[in-house]
Amino acid sequence: MIVVDRITKTFSVSRQQRREMGPDFKGSRIDAVREISFTCRPGRIFTLLGPNGAGKTTMLRMIATMLKPTGGKISVAGFDTVDQPVEVRKRIGFLTGSTGLYDRLTPDEMIKYYADLYGMDAQTYGRRKEEIYGLLGINEFAGRRIGKLSSGMKQKVSLARTIIHNPDVVVFDEPTSALDVVTSRAIIQLIKRCREENKTVIFSTHRMGEVSLLSDDLAVIHRGKLIFNGAYAEFEKQMQTRSVEDEFVRLVEAD
Amino acid sequence: MNRFATIFRKEVTDTIRDRRTLFMMIVFPLLLVPALMIVVTNMQMSSMKKAEEKVLRVALVSHANAPGLVAALKARTDLRIAEGIPADSMEAMIACDSIDAGVVVAGDFDDAVAGMKSGTITLFYKSSDDFDMVKRRLSGVLNSYEKQIVAGRFAKLNIDAGIVNPVTLEEHDVASMKEKIGKTVGGMIPYLFVLFCFMGAMYPAIDLAAGEKERGTMETLLTAPVSRIQILLGKFAVVVLTGLLSAAVSILGIFLAVRQLSKIPPEVLSAVMTILDVKTVFLVLSLLLPLAVFFAAFLLSMSIYAKSYKEAQSMISPLTIVVILPAIIGMFPGIALDEVTAVIPVLNVVLATKEIIAGTIKTWLLLEVYASLLVLAGLSLFGCSRWFQREETIFRGV
Repeated sequence: MIVVDRITKTFSVSRQQRREMGPDFKGSRIDAVREISFTCRPGRIFTLLGPNGAGKTTMLRMIATMLKPTGGKISVAGFDTVDQPVEVRKRIGFLTGSTGLYDRLTPDEMIKYYADLYGMDAQTYGRRKEEIYGLLGINEFAGRRIGKLSSGMKQKVSLARTIIHNPDVVVFDEPTSALDVVTSRAIIQLIKRCREENKTVIFSTHRMGEVSLLSDDLAVIHRGKLIFNGAYAEFEKQMQTRSVEDEFVRLVEAD
Repeated sequence: MNRFATIFRKEVTDTIRDRRTLFMMIVFPLLLVPALMIVVTNMQMSSMKKAEEKVLRVALVSHANAPGLVAALKARTDLRIAEGIPADSMEAMIACDSIDAGVVVAGDFDDAVAGMKSGTITLFYKSSDDFDMVKRRLSGVLNSYEKQIVAGRFAKLNIDAGIVNPVTLEEHDVASMKEKIGKTVGGMIPYLFVLFCFMGAMYPAIDLAAGEKERGTMETLLTAPVSRIQILLGKFAVVVLTGLLSAAVSILGIFLAVRQLSKIPPEVLSAVMTILDVKTVFLVLSLLLPLAVFFAAFLLSMSIYAKSYKEAQSMISPLTIVVILPAIIGMFPGIALDEVTAVIPVLNVVLATKEIIAGTIKTWLLLEVYASLLVLAGLSLFGCSRWFQREETIFRGV
């Protein structure tokens, strides 16, 4: 379970960033996330939907303890992200569309590296590795250097790395961006599988097809604020337009 | 500790599989530097030999004076004497390489010498040619001729030649060969290993911080149950190790190059070998360790700040000059290890190494160097760890 309680995140703005933002921007700080609250429950997929720069990645990075909130509290699997970050990290798997791999390692070495960082014992690791390798079909290229693998193979290694420690909570930050249809499908299947395994899943996207395909709960974020938060079924019920995409655009433009 | 070891192991594997790092860390100092040293030295020796053996074309205008000198010049097989060239065209002929030198004996030379006065001989040459060999070779002939005249004058006046040498200077150089090498060539050795310590650490530092950010692996690593200080220390240890290894390999490269140089006198070679005794190597490495820590912390701090590998490279590469400069100053004559230079980073290591190699290091100055290096290493590591904790740094451009 993830409980986000009135989270705010403020970044200081450098001189160069101020220049990039143009003359209209005044001040030295910017609110990336403002007073956001939501709850992600086990066995459900929580979708964070928003345009580029809305604050989705900042929100997910705070959940994954990479960033500290300026205000508010986040609890992941019962642990506070600021006070008990290591406990939180033990329980989450994190994957982004731009997640990289170590090209000079083999998939075996890469996944073992993360298993060691998660403190997995040899027996648990062996069992889990066998299960995931079988599921994703990694065995055939497990000993080859990652740099020599195709992008589809690499994505499978990324997925294996994300779930090797069998996390209770899985965070996907635009996991299918810049991926082809076949590879995207593998990720979507994994997200569904995580739900079947009663994990808490939060994923951010701006692909409307994925929203309707996967979401149990939905939050729409724009300029750091939540403009919708509820069950996906409820979102569909209150739609004033014909498609999810049109409704999303309507909400964003109305904000 | 366990997780630190995991990160360290992975970074070592990753680093030794990186061709750029391997080249800078091992191939460059071990093969290229000795190869360059051997080729350059051999080329220099061969061209010096050529200049010594070259038959010089010398224009001579004697005005029928100084028959002894003319005979001596003509008797030399390594000189081809050309007479009849006007004295005023010698400069132009040397400039256009028609002749190598010109000797003009003044018209009143014999009269001046006979009158116990000083006669003039003008030597035209180009000092920029062949290690100034032309002047040296002709000066030898002219000096012998002058000595003949002086000896004749002493004989004529019935005076003992010793009268003009009231002092006989007997020189006893108490500096051992090791000391001489330490004070002269000794500056070159720390220059090379300080440079290689920095360059060897440079690519791993860029790859393990800016490279990780660019590849998107840093973000994933930050979600693993490891503290940032453990991540930093794991990377830091590898950067220190590569810097040290690169410096050690460069010393080995110099050693191999010296052994390959055939023209080195045996006593010099034996002194060079004594430099590499256990105590000297241990002392030098103990100086290098805190310096490598400082380099690693400094390089990682820059690399963590950079948005990409390329940006880190363009930020760090020019800084090589900042490292080279004090190392070069350390080679200047007259710059010695004292209370002030002992606290100047890099320069203190170069000067202390020179003294260690020469066997003349003073304990209290060595302790001052250690103290300043340890403080510097501690501060830079502390600064780097604080820098690594900052969200603005680690997520800059990510």
